[in-house]
Amino acid sequence: MADPETPATPPPRRPLYRARIDRMRDHNADTRSLFLRIIDGGQLAFVPGQFISISLPLEHETRVRPYTIASSPEQTDTIEVCFNQVPGGEGVRYLFERKVGDELQFTGPFGAFAMDRSPEHECVFIAEGTAIAPIRPMIRRMLASGARPALSLLYAAPDSNHLLYRDEIAQWSAAGVNFAPLLAPPAKLYDRLAAETQRRWVDADSDRSRHFYVCGVGKGVLRLRDLLRGAGYERRAVHYEQW
Amino acid sequence: MAKIRVIFESGEPERIIEFDPADAPFHHDGEPGSILDVLLGNRIHLEHACGGNCACTTCHVIVKSGFNKLSESSEQEEDLLDKAPGLTPTSRLACQAVIDDPDAEIVVVIPRYTINQISEGGAKPEP
Repeated sequence: MADPETPATPPPRRPLYRARIDRMRDHNADTRSLFLRIIDGGQLAFVPGQFISISLPLEHETRVRPYTIASSPEQTDTIEVCFNQVPGGEGVRYLFERKVGDELQFTGPFGAFAMDRSPEHECVFIAEGTAIAPIRPMIRRMLASGARPALSLLYAAPDSNHLLYRDEIAQWSAAGVNFAPLLAPPAKLYDRLAAETQRRWVDADSDRSRHFYVCGVGKGVLRLRDLLRGAGYERRAVHYEQW
Repeated sequence: MAKIRVIFESGEPERIIEFDPADAPFHHDGEPGSILDVLLGNRIHLEHACGGNCACTTCHVIVKSGFNKLSESSEQEEDLLDKAPGLTPTSRLACQAVIDDPDAEIVVVIPRYTINQISEGGAKPEP
């Protein structure tokens, strides 16, 4: 057995991108976006919903942690990653300590929770807090496409300050996205999301052609998955990502 | 002691790890006692782009022997494996496949290169 104090430093087997922090945006007291500009003008080709793995040189070892890309592939100048502080989260603490101009290294893109083509049927997006990040480029892309199905967004947070991208979501609403904000205490967030999902997309009709994209933190995501699949939606029409 | 024999498609020399599952976790990524946890704890690098959180397939391994000694896969793991390149009937995500039998003998193959499940266009990374 190796000495557990001696960490395994992962040798990079994929292309490693070097990027500089171009700017930052504080969404609220504990949520921040970093806008990364790839050094030497490189670009990252990705699909809405994917993430990058950022190398975080912590005190005792370099860790690699995933951060979802909140910007669109069409936005080629910078890549936006959005994250919030979590108790004991060393990686996030490291990122919060970075300044504009600092350099980060990452690999990617990764992830199967992605929308490589717009579904033909109605799409329902369900997210909470920073989990709006992968959904944002998905909705942007669907809105930009000519013929598109009906879109709904059910977005939950403990308070309105933690509903991110509110101005942009208002524009989506004006463009026809059926937006429903949901404010609830953290302990009740998924109870409320499940109840609302049950009411709107299970009990309201017998249409089971919808596609769902669910993203969030913890087992509540799996509960929503089970609710939808159990109600008759096709397994592959219920996309989800649990962090 | 449980045993994992690790075969690398890349041609790297194979490794044999002996460990006591009761000592898990061995690292901080993946489920405690998972193949990923054991490998990382023994300084064997295995990609896990999502941090071992069952959100990608970069830790995909093919179990050649001892498949039944591993924990059962969850629906979440199965959903991801569906999208894994090179899927086989004995594929697992190393971050989720837990060994808790102290007499287990597992043989796993690390695929040569785990490619991205979904890509669009060509990335232009730094050389």
